[in-house]
Amino acid sequence: MFRSFYPFYRPGLLLVSITLVLSACQSNTPPPSGIPDVVDYNFHIKPILSNNCFVCHGPDASTLEGDLQLHSREHATARREDGSPAIVPGNASRSALMQRIMAEDPGERMPPLESNKTLSEREIALLARWIEQGAEYKEHWSLLPPETREIPEIENDWSQLNDIDRFIQANLQSAGLTPAPTASKTALIRRLSYVLTGLPPTPSDVQAFVEDESPEAYEKVVDAYLASSHFGERWARHWMDLVRYAESKGHEFDFSIEGTWRYRDYLIRAFNDDVPYDQFIREQLAGDLVESPRRHPTEGYNESVIGTLYYSLGEGTHSPVDLRKDEADRIDNIIDVTTKTFQGLTVSCARCHDHKFDPIPTADYYALYGIFESTRFAPTALLTTKQEAHLDSIKALKADMRQTLAQQWISDLNATPVHQASLAPAHSSLSDNQEEPASTSADSTSSYQMLGDFRDGSLGGWYPHGPAFSHAAGASVVRFNQERNRIDSLTTGFLSSQETGIGIPGALRSPTFVIAHDTLAVVAAGYQSSIRIIIDNFQIIRFPIYGGLELQVDSTGLKTYRFDVSMWKGRKAYAELLVGIYDKKHPVHITDNHLLASNDSSFIDVAYAFAYSGSPPDFSEPPSSATPTPEQALQAWGLGNANADDLSLINKLLDEGSLNSSLDAVGSHLDQIQHHTSQFADVAYVQGVTNGDAIDSHVFDRGNYQMLGEEPIPRRFLTAVTSDAQPFPTDRSGRLEMVEAITAPENPLTARVMVNRLWHHIFGKGLVETVDNFGAQGKLPSHPALLDHMAVHFIDQGWSVKSMIKEMVMSATFQQAAEGTEQGHQLDPNNLLLHHYPVRRLEGEAIRDAILTVSSTLDPTLFGPPVPTHLTEFMQGRGRPAINGPLDGAGRRSIYLSIRRNFLSPMMLAFDMPIPFSTFGNRNSSNVPAQSLTLLNDPFVAEQAEVWAAHLLTLDHVDAAQRIEHIYMTALSRPPTGEETTNAIAFIQQQASRLNLTDEQSFGDATVWTAYCHAILNLKEFIYLV
Amino acid sequence: MTRREMLALCRNGFGSLAMLGLMGSAPFGRVLSETPAPRVTPMDPLPSHGIPKARNVIFLYMDGGVSQVDSFDYKPRLARESGENPYDKFKVDATQFNQIGTIMPSPWEFKQHGECGMWVSELFPHIATCVDDLALVRSMVADFPEHTNANYFLHTGIGIQGRPSMGAWVTYGLGSENQNLPGYVVLDGGLIPPGGLDNFNSGFLPASYQGSVFKAGSVPLANIQPLEENAEIQRQKLSLMNQADQRLLGRIGQADEIESAISNYELAFRMQASVPELTDLSGESDLTKRLYGLNSDDPHTRGYGAQCLLARRLVERGVRFVELTCPRVEADRWDQHSGLKDGHERNAHAVDQPIAGLLKDLKARGLLEETLVIWAGEFGRTPFSQGSNGRDHNPSAFSIWMAGAGIQGGTIYGQTDEYGYRAVENKTTIHDLHATMLHLLGINHERLTYRFSGRDIRLTDVHGKLIDAILA
Repeated sequence: MFRSFYPFYRPGLLLVSITLVLSACQSNTPPPSGIPDVVDYNFHIKPILSNNCFVCHGPDASTLEGDLQLHSREHATARREDGSPAIVPGNASRSALMQRIMAEDPGERMPPLESNKTLSEREIALLARWIEQGAEYKEHWSLLPPETREIPEIENDWSQLNDIDRFIQANLQSAGLTPAPTASKTALIRRLSYVLTGLPPTPSDVQAFVEDESPEAYEKVVDAYLASSHFGERWARHWMDLVRYAESKGHEFDFSIEGTWRYRDYLIRAFNDDVPYDQFIREQLAGDLVESPRRHPTEGYNESVIGTLYYSLGEGTHSPVDLRKDEADRIDNIIDVTTKTFQGLTVSCARCHDHKFDPIPTADYYALYGIFESTRFAPTALLTTKQEAHLDSIKALKADMRQTLAQQWISDLNATPVHQASLAPAHSSLSDNQEEPASTSADSTSSYQMLGDFRDGSLGGWYPHGPAFSHAAGASVVRFNQERNRIDSLTTGFLSSQETGIGIPGALRSPTFVIAHDTLAVVAAGYQSSIRIIIDNFQIIRFPIYGGLELQVDSTGLKTYRFDVSMWKGRKAYAELLVGIYDKKHPVHITDNHLLASNDSSFIDVAYAFAYSGSPPDFSEPPSSATPTPEQALQAWGLGNANADDLSLINKLLDEGSLNSSLDAVGSHLDQIQHHTSQFADVAYVQGVTNGDAIDSHVFDRGNYQMLGEEPIPRRFLTAVTSDAQPFPTDRSGRLEMVEAITAPENPLTARVMVNRLWHHIFGKGLVETVDNFGAQGKLPSHPALLDHMAVHFIDQGWSVKSMIKEMVMSATFQQAAEGTEQGHQLDPNNLLLHHYPVRRLEGEAIRDAILTVSSTLDPTLFGPPVPTHLTEFMQGRGRPAINGPLDGAGRRSIYLSIRRNFLSPMMLAFDMPIPFSTFGNRNSSNVPAQSLTLLNDPFVAEQAEVWAAHLLTLDHVDAAQRIEHIYMTALSRPPTGEETTNAIAFIQQQASRLNLTDEQSFGDATVWTAYCHAILNLKEFIYLV
Repeated sequence: MTRREMLALCRNGFGSLAMLGLMGSAPFGRVLSETPAPRVTPMDPLPSHGIPKARNVIFLYMDGGVSQVDSFDYKPRLARESGENPYDKFKVDATQFNQIGTIMPSPWEFKQHGECGMWVSELFPHIATCVDDLALVRSMVADFPEHTNANYFLHTGIGIQGRPSMGAWVTYGLGSENQNLPGYVVLDGGLIPPGGLDNFNSGFLPASYQGSVFKAGSVPLANIQPLEENAEIQRQKLSLMNQADQRLLGRIGQADEIESAISNYELAFRMQASVPELTDLSGESDLTKRLYGLNSDDPHTRGYGAQCLLARRLVERGVRFVELTCPRVEADRWDQHSGLKDGHERNAHAVDQPIAGLLKDLKARGLLEETLVIWAGEFGRTPFSQGSNGRDHNPSAFSIWMAGAGIQGGTIYGQTDEYGYRAVENKTTIHDLHATMLHLLGINHERLTYRFSGRDIRLTDVHGKLIDAILA
């Protein structure tokens, strides 16, 4: 479908918002009072209506005043009871809208007095002309698919221009503006280096670039920085702003989030490897469901699944009294961050009511809600290639061992036949999840429900996750005594992670059920493992309320583990059998022991799980009628699919001594298995997700879950984005389908939002300045055609982020000098048209990294666990890390410094690092005394000035001037001017005379040079990108 | 948008202002007076919506949740029904610990005080002498029974992390009258509340409005102490820097960001001098010091007393919003899940005399007329016991009081049920508290907005009504 929606693809009228400012100098005379010839709904009218009218007359019918809605033509032109329609297309004066807006009587006039809103004359004139021209409504610009745009033809086209430039220049030319000249080479390389890697260029790189006069010199530098591993560090940090990245959950005790730094490293690798953006989205939203996941380049573990940590990065409440509300808040945060990050839409505004400004009904919010409610948080083991190989070996050895023993025993039996009567009774499985009265008690209030029966060695309808339960049902475990060199028995009557292997990580989770009984019970055994009851997806199972929902399993024989869940009747829940326990202490935050750990002895066995009220039921095993022959039983076991009857029979035979129980034939199997299982002592985990049972959510009236709408809303994607938003399949969460909707080339937002984010980081301001909001309350694009051009191109190029960035930085627009002209400042003070490169302050991370770089402290190591936060005495409170990090962060780049929600770095906060609670694609750029005080007085800056000075004194400079040149090249990427050198030397002499030093002495004096270096770190030129 | 851009736009007249509307530019999205003067620096004082009663706010934060039935909400029925089962009396909500015990009487005697006859327990003998200056609200309710959510809610109007604190909203709305000190100061008495420093942050507002945490001691504010051994060296550095910065400015041309950053150094330089002057109490008379309890045997009374005295000095200097956090006594914050008697007594002893001293001192100096003092915790406590001698969290009722500018002293507002368990009359929310506070500062809470995430967000979200009955 082709719908044209940018009315002014005529340069000159592109930017309504600056028409007025520009009007005086435009060559073509604009219409009187700056009103465009053709008034467009999206670009002129909707902002007026949205800002002034929609709160009471918009899409949200619940707060409607006077039964009037102005957001659609149908509503606005409908005949009204009290007279003429609000809008009569073609006739402004007959339109009630205009009459009310222009009413003399303040009581009649719209917007009403109490709204504190008034319309300007220009806005009124625009409305009038629009109505006169027929009052044509259009869908919101960002919801119409991007179109392939014709590249504008411009005057004075020259070879250095690329297509981006042609769009930019066309607008500049028609506004009567000229672009700034190309920046100096020193400015260019510094700009490139910071924009692409977040670090200053080395003096030798600057030198080489300045001396390289080849036409490809610039592109070579671009390619080098794009290929630098520091590129990923820079762009990962940008992404972390979007996904509220933090390593702890905040709230009362600031518990850690499992494996977050691996997600940070995943981002760095993804940007460095230029993972296509659609895949990057897929991995974060559904990395657990990717069919052929990417692998970590050296360790070989599943790389794609790490992306799903995305979901767990939000705040987490310690011991919430109302779990359902807490779940609603967590899901709200996921909806908020997901829709802003990937779609530039503020869907969480539709939590309580239809979106006031965008076509996002509350039903859409709850359609997404169901997707995330159907998703379970799940610690996910990352198995290395080696561990995967060990796992394969264990499986092969176990299979071979079974076969070897089975064959050996079959031949034993053939030698000495056994009487059929030795068959032992075996149980038959219980009838299933039916409510039944408890069998042992006459108490009529007693009842129970079977939640899972594993006595036949099956998974009982539960969901395995990770390798722990990946064995064949009926594999059983050989129990043996190495000292006595004998096989004791085969395990039977329960399911065990030992069947796959001791120490092998993973979990088995029940289907979602509603708690209907007082007690949940699991008959289990194991070591260093746990059983957790997850209610409303709540994970931080801790005292005081929830401690009892997690039990550590440490028993050699089966025993009943009971959970009192009487408080939570009616809530949805699932049971989780987990290899490992949640008591690992964080290495730095030693008060924080809420991390999962399994070791090479961890395992869990489970016979059955049930819920009951009153007296506990008795599950005595009814006799089995099945009568396998010994040979049948052994053959079945040899193949790994023995049932309980088979295993009972074999055990009976072993007991009787009918089978050779010596370990001789399998001793080496057992040794090898033990060797392989010992390789799982320190499994790495990330807090990922899995699919749970599909749950469709009701609408929560006014956002209150206690007031549910009538019908559940099927899970599907946003109706405004996907015109045929079909309900998702009922057998899974729908996350994969959601990803398909987001990454579909027809999605009007995904590519636009991302290229705009890239543009924002490269040019300091997005073409749509509200980078996280492409809705009606966001800003209109300054260059809609360019935005479309790039969005289409981005998809065509296979969603390559690096290619897109390269095109942007290769543009002449990017290479302009930062110095503007008086004319430019007059006509376009906000530089919306980009008549010069915008001046901006570096981010806190880049400033700190630059300080470390110039002082030669920087440790360029990539990846790894975070460096503990340096705690000042001003940083107090619960959850305070027990170990204080080094002042200089061990010289590591800022991205590797720990981000604990409750202990954020004061320096980063002062320099506007966002507080990690929502999507922040556009950081504030504030100007606060704390910034000056940090650079002036912070011990970190002071220390680095000292380190830098000490380093300088070791270099073989012949005189102060040469050293000063080196300092300038290092810190500012350019040589000093003569005046600057003179000033510097004067300062050095000033310090020398204070200390009574001769010139010669001062040249070797650390105090003197520390003072100078400290001043350099405080220069605006050092912390600004120009 | 920068100052110059703003000015340029204003020069261009009416149409350009409309353009501002089109651009939805954040800092100017809220319009405090009909024709706002553009703000040159983020802390420039701005005119208010109405006639302000209060110039400053001192917020005495009672971290952990003071028990209302042991302080200001006298419930004799608790003694009569001591030891009985609360489930027989009323519907019991789930609590943080869910160890519901029995009806527990207050261990403290209550007496009526002042002309207004306000009941105050013997926990607060000094504050009891000021009751005719207090407006007591006994019917407060909070949305959250957990500390962290409740703290965020009390401070930011929303129970999640990351929203601007009320101090940030106030300085964003009004700026500050002292350009040499931060506009929003948090005096850290020893305890940072659960939820951490984000209780005092600026959220999505510019960092200019975040609370500056002052600690007791020789270096009250981070990085306020110059590194250099003498001021002359720092001046020499600043002079060298200024040469270079001015040169850069000359080269780039019109770069407001850089210009502002340069003036920021001047402010920082002045703050280095004004903060030590502020915290130097040597000029205060012995009488004043004794009034605040600086001669107390209890080190926590002395510590909190010094913070209260500092609060007075801050408002004297025009600092807009001052918050005091609780001292770290030899018991937890006001969070007595057990050992109510000991814990509440220690906390009360630390703060009682200093708070009364502050009220009296402000009054004597005429500062109480222009300063709003708010005393509040994040929620109350249960009238039944947790374990044998504690009380659990209770968001359904708690008591707060306000004093000073625009407040009708001696007012007793709102009622709880006979157990002090739930507010039953004139239920008052945190949003109402915020709305009233802003109102007294001359700000209409519905008009103090900031565009974030596509919405014009308020401190009071979509709620809040004035507590008219306590206003003078």
